[in-house]
Amino acid sequence: MTGHRVLVTGGTRGIGRATALAFAEAGAAVAVNYARSPEDEAETLVALRATGATAVAVQADVGDAAAVERMFGEVRDALGGAPDVLVNNAAVTHDGLLMMLPEAAWDRVLAVDLKGAYLCARAALRGMIAGRWGRIVNVVSPAAFLGHAGASNYAAAKGGLVAMTKSLAREVARFGITVNAVSPGLVETQLVAGVASGKRDEIARQIPLGRTGTPGEIAAAVLFLASPAASYVTGTTLHVDGGLTML
Amino acid sequence: MDRDRLRADVKELLVTGLRLDQPADDIADDAPIFGEGLGLDSIDALELVVLVEERFHVAIPDEEVGKRAFGSVNALVDFILHERSA
Repeated sequence: MTGHRVLVTGGTRGIGRATALAFAEAGAAVAVNYARSPEDEAETLVALRATGATAVAVQADVGDAAAVERMFGEVRDALGGAPDVLVNNAAVTHDGLLMMLPEAAWDRVLAVDLKGAYLCARAALRGMIAGRWGRIVNVVSPAAFLGHAGASNYAAAKGGLVAMTKSLAREVARFGITVNAVSPGLVETQLVAGVASGKRDEIARQIPLGRTGTPGEIAAAVLFLASPAASYVTGTTLHVDGGLTML
Repeated sequence: MDRDRLRADVKELLVTGLRLDQPADDIADDAPIFGEGLGLDSIDALELVVLVEERFHVAIPDEEVGKRAFGSVNALVDFILHERSA
């Protein structure tokens, strides 16, 4: 991926950090976005720069249009051009049964997990069209395909993101831009650590490969979709979930 | 830059940027750029947005502005002149 500029949203921990690291190791210049957590930012930058890659961390709430515009300006300045690979990984959860779910919890999850991907893709596409090459990878979830009681907002956002992936793939294919999704199953990250252990055990029992995944296994799939090996792949979802979903 | 020169530049950009199979002089001044005529669709318009923004240093941020700007070659010339003077 030498010569490419990559932006990973939510890139300072978990799957995002592993993905940023995979791109850095593959020779790309990498920008990692974060919303809060400056301590994660510093640690991630050390790891990224240890590979010899150009790396920068940029703060922005991806659900905020003005913040996203500012972030893309910072990325262009730091990496010497607009990103030609965008990984929409940033996500939040606010679980609750729908009947009792506060409106703010619905709005916040949809704003970050779905609108954030729209805002970042919108900002990234001009540069990709100008260069007639681009890769957008959206990180989704088995919840989009199987449903997830207690996380209807998250499932709706991720299901929306799958549909957006297909639609945008059709819109920009002629410009040499592919748009795909990766659906990570149960992966050991802070987001999943927030899931009750009983629920996690129940999910783990349904995984044919019989174990949780690692952030590196998801990162490998994202890197594949951005690589020349995936040049004929667009609009699809790669399920990296140990066989949980099988779609 | 005078209007005639700008109009010629816009037509040249349409032909080279969007790889049209016709001479720039054959493009009508007042016919819609997208839809009938040049055989361009709304997705081609995305590329024209990028080309026009880079070449003429104006912003076409959304569909509403795009519809106005791309009404015709003359409309695009007017849009560029207006944005530059703003």
